[in-house]
Amino acid sequence: MSVYESPMVPATETTTPLLQIRDLSVNYGGIQALQEISLVINAGEVVTLIGANGAGKSTTLRTISRLLHPRHGEIIYDNRDITKLRPDEVVRLGIAQSAEGRRMLTRLSVMDNLLLGAYTRTNRAEIQADIEQQFGRFPRLKERSKQLAGTLSGGEQQMLAIARALMSRPRLLLLDEPSLGLAPLIVREIFAIIRELHASGVTILLVEQNAQLALQNADRGYVMEAGRITINGLAADLINDDRVRKAYLGDVPPPVKLPPRAAPEEKNGLFGLR
Amino acid sequence: MNTTLILQQFLNGLAIGSVYAIFALGYTLVFSILRVINFAHGAIFTLGAYFTYMLLGARFGFNGVFANLALPFSLPFPLALLVGALLSGLVGVVVERLAFRPLRTRGADPLLTLVSSLGVAVALVNLIQYLVGAEIYTYPPRVLGSLPAAVNFGTSTLPVPVRTVQIIIFAVSMVIVVLLTYLINGTKIGKALQAVSEDATTASLLGIDTDRLILFTFFLSGFLGGVAGTLVGLSVSINGPYFGISYGLKGLAVIVLGGLGDIPGAVLAGFLIGLVESFVPAQYVAYKDAVAFALLFAMLLFRPQGLLGRAVVQKV
Ligand SMILES: Nc1ncnc2c1ncn2[C@@H]1O[C@H](COP(=O)(O)OP(=O)(O)OP(=O)(O)O)[C@@H](O)[C@H]1O
Ligand SMILES: [Mg+2]
Repeated sequence: MSVYESPMVPATETTTPLLQIRDLSVNYGGIQALQEISLVINAGEVVTLIGANGAGKSTTLRTISRLLHPRHGEIIYDNRDITKLRPDEVVRLGIAQSAEGRRMLTRLSVMDNLLLGAYTRTNRAEIQADIEQQFGRFPRLKERSKQLAGTLSGGEQQMLAIARALMSRPRLLLLDEPSLGLAPLIVREIFAIIRELHASGVTILLVEQNAQLALQNADRGYVMEAGRITINGLAADLINDDRVRKAYLGDVPPPVKLPPRAAPEEKNGLFGLR
Repeated sequence: MNTTLILQQFLNGLAIGSVYAIFALGYTLVFSILRVINFAHGAIFTLGAYFTYMLLGARFGFNGVFANLALPFSLPFPLALLVGALLSGLVGVVVERLAFRPLRTRGADPLLTLVSSLGVAVALVNLIQYLVGAEIYTYPPRVLGSLPAAVNFGTSTLPVPVRTVQIIIFAVSMVIVVLLTYLINGTKIGKALQAVSEDATTASLLGIDTDRLILFTFFLSGFLGGVAGTLVGLSVSINGPYFGISYGLKGLAVIVLGGLGDIPGAVLAGFLIGLVESFVPAQYVAYKDAVAFALLFAMLLFRPQGLLGRAVVQKV
């Protein structure tokens, strides 16, 4: 038994998990997509879920957002069983998802997409302030606020997808392949934003095919294969793990050790950067 | 045809066309959200006409459970129209709960939903007949109070009289089109409807309760159907429980002509059909109902994408 299959290493002694998935199984008709997966996300962490095409990563996120009904198992968020809630109720509790493929509302403007991201909120002044905050974070969206979302470039759409998800002021942000199909420069920009969100205290579950980049930017990681979680551990350890490197990192030499990032304790409120 | 008559027919065409438009918008709303035609819409149109008739304090006829009954009060026409439309909206809500949602939650084929709505339509029509019989009902003659029966749109030497009823129909319909357009494009709930229409999954990921919005859509749709039924009832009469069927079919022609799910397209198509119908020569008036379908046929041959040709990009 490798160290990676041992029970979870919590980020700090004191944190209780923000999200806990236990023995979750999901079927599509007769096909079993998830088989008894368990995972834990502590408040303030960036956790990445990596794995090959069809491993079940998006299925996991869709089940957390309640778009899919699990056949078995439970999802505990903030000490509360959310396994039977509606998708909109989950958003109200503070879980937002930027789904795979960006899912723009193409016939609505950038501004309207952002406003709909704040659908669950009512305080107009706060919503307006958050829109300004997103425009500060993504200046390109500000220039294009009246443009139809369907006419944005792929990179801009990804930025809008993240900004829109943030408009609900989530405590837990689910990101499904934010780097998909984007040029390296844009990918770097997106990951800079992810680091910034992390520093400001948002908890993130990051699904990525780009395992290298994901592990470099996460605290911990889970590796998924054919609907099961096979390896898990600290991101820094996974990046050096032989199995992970062979399967997902193209077996390149391990990267130079990165300087430590800001600790989660430094957060001051949800959007500490404001 | 002389100029006066042409002008008169034109104004009549606008009035009936505006009713076709708001009636068809009821189909359009549901279609853009669920991609299915609600066949019960024509029956709700009929019900709306009866609701208003009843709220005006008018007495039912000699057949059916309600024979010779009348409400102990009578509402003025504008209020009766509004309450009748609200009741029709509630019927729309019930239709969604009974005929649409159970199938949707089971992920049934849209074709089954269509058949289910057809079943509701038949049930509603039979219920109407059971309650009030199959007689023709005419709104009480004094319904418009002291308003004159007609208004002259010409001069004293060259009069172009138009029935006041037609003017009311046109005005009410246009107010509704404007309000609906504002609701869809200018309000939060309208934006949410557009979101559900484009991608219900994404909408729910943004925290939109899609089931509640669908219910609201059926309410709006029923409301529009009820107003249209009342306006036609006012202009002509309630032609029995099957009254809504021919309008129901014509409404379908309107939305296909306008481009499925296209709101401005449906309004334009409503006017087009209303106008063309009103110019059908007197000797062919028996074939008037065929006009809509002749136009529809021509359209499907030459412009299958709808009048404004953007049915694919512009929904709700
Ligand atoms: N709607 C569906 N119906 C049937 N099977 C599905 C459906 N969606 C996904 N699957 C199957 O479930 C499995 C997991 O799919 P999922 O989308 O979760 O994979 P993924 O890890 O996100 O892959 P990718 O990296 O390609 O996005 C796959 O085998 C897929 O074919
Ligand atoms: Mg995926």
